[in-house]
Amino acid sequence: MKLFLRDQWPFAAFFLVQLILLIMIFAMDGYWNESLMIYVMFLSVFFAGAFLAIRYLSHRTIYQRLSKPVESLEELTQTYGNSPLCRAMDDISQEQYRLYKEQLHAYENKQRDHTTFIQQWVHQMKTPISVIHLLLQNEDDPTAESVREEVDRIKRGLETVLYIARLDRFEQDFLIEPVTLRSMVQNVLAENKRLFIRNQVYPEVKVDENWRVESDDKWLAFVLNQLLTNAVRYSAGKSNKVTIRAYERGAHAILEVQDYGIGIPTEDIRRVFKPYFTGENGRKYPESTGMGLYLVKEICGRLHHGVEMESEVGEGTTVRIVLSAVVPTLQESKIAES
Amino acid sequence: MSTIMIVEDDPKINQLLQEQLEKYGFQTVNVEHFDRVMEVFTQSRPDLVLLDVNLPKFDGFYWCRQMRQESNCPILFISARESKMDQVMALENGADDYITKPFDYDVVLAKIRSQLRRAYGQYAPQEGERTVEVAGLKLFLERMELSMYDIKIELSKKEALLLEALMNQHPRVVSRERLLEKLWDEQFVDENTLNVYITRVRGKLKDLGLEGAVETVRGSGYRLRATWEEGQ
Repeated sequence: MKLFLRDQWPFAAFFLVQLILLIMIFAMDGYWNESLMIYVMFLSVFFAGAFLAIRYLSHRTIYQRLSKPVESLEELTQTYGNSPLCRAMDDISQEQYRLYKEQLHAYENKQRDHTTFIQQWVHQMKTPISVIHLLLQNEDDPTAESVREEVDRIKRGLETVLYIARLDRFEQDFLIEPVTLRSMVQNVLAENKRLFIRNQVYPEVKVDENWRVESDDKWLAFVLNQLLTNAVRYSAGKSNKVTIRAYERGAHAILEVQDYGIGIPTEDIRRVFKPYFTGENGRKYPESTGMGLYLVKEICGRLHHGVEMESEVGEGTTVRIVLSAVVPTLQESKIAES
Repeated sequence: MSTIMIVEDDPKINQLLQEQLEKYGFQTVNVEHFDRVMEVFTQSRPDLVLLDVNLPKFDGFYWCRQMRQESNCPILFISARESKMDQVMALENGADDYITKPFDYDVVLAKIRSQLRRAYGQYAPQEGERTVEVAGLKLFLERMELSMYDIKIELSKKEALLLEALMNQHPRVVSRERLLEKLWDEQFVDENTLNVYITRVRGKLKDLGLEGAVETVRGSGYRLRATWEEGQ
């Protein structure tokens, strides 16, 4: 309504000026009949008002649309009415929407192709890695050891790429089910044993054997993988212990990775979860991509797990994953069944 | 002797697997033309199949279904794909287990053995038992026994692993890192624990009358020396 008035007031003003001008011309010509003049004025104003009212009613949808912020794309495609202006509006917004959709689809397709390509490429890379891996298994000299390390690094890198690519299709690629924390932790540790040994850091696991949490095994393992890689990297040469523990906090289960390494400067802590942010430690350790913790945060967000971080420079870092309620331990559930 | 059929289109992986399996006394059959997988299968009647998922023409799932119509033999998938969907697909199509690449020989061998055991009974002839021998000192890996001059002693798992590494490498040095890696199974092992195990292994060797056989090489690791031979 407001917009309509603002839009139409020049017309109303023009109309009034014209009316007054007409009456004045008549008056100056010597013709003066008060009641007729008032009648003329009344009639003109009435018709002008009616015109404006009809105009408003027929274009109301347009004015309403124009004065309200758009909340969804579909709103833009509503029909406005039957007047020529409305139909023109319909056409153009329809067309705009179509063009927009087309472009969006084009980009979506491109993105999907790209993701597929990356995934296939990673899988292709796994074959040569498998071959190298197999070739090295019976070799024991220092060169082989060193190549093994590098293969590990490539493997870790590929893994990250794969998970980043998968993140886009997360919804089709996860399954929440009871996960036995202890065995998951142990698997992840075993996968990273060379990393630990090479850096002379040893894990200390304080996770109850029977504890199970509601999560996705694969994604949670990937998260833990990232946390452990960080923990080991930033502990190397400073401390030789990384603690992985699980405990209850209210209705939640907490999975915690604590290292006693170099820690993260306070000003960096808030930003470590941002993509590509490497911070001060990243500059000291050239292998940082800045993606690890970003992925941790993203994945946890999608699994509805919380992430907390505490760190002090020189003292170490603690990262906690806040998981949904603990599934009753095996023993408890057995008791409940019987 | 069990026959294992390898359906893998990467020639190198194929060859490496074949060599490794033959080393442990298995007979292998491999496929050269991937449109004739079934022909090879029917002709060779393998006791177990290692099957890749990504193959030219048809994928592993397809072949798995085909094989299932003819045989109940264990089928193990080996694939670079590791999504849950693929694993479920594999098992649904009749596979018995799923191994993701890159894999360890140990894992593949262990899974093959366990499948064979399940399918053909535990008391099937002790084939492919892994043994390592250095100048008369013989290690039986499955039984975790060490023998010398007809004396046999039992080992713990970790002791057996340590000796395996040392004997395999004989007479070269095995780095501490490598030993830690070998021992790190479900339970991780730190430097001190490694020292303890080394001491125990030395003790066991001493029981066999072999002293000073495990030599410490400062700054790098340990080496097995056939001192008993040198003395003769």
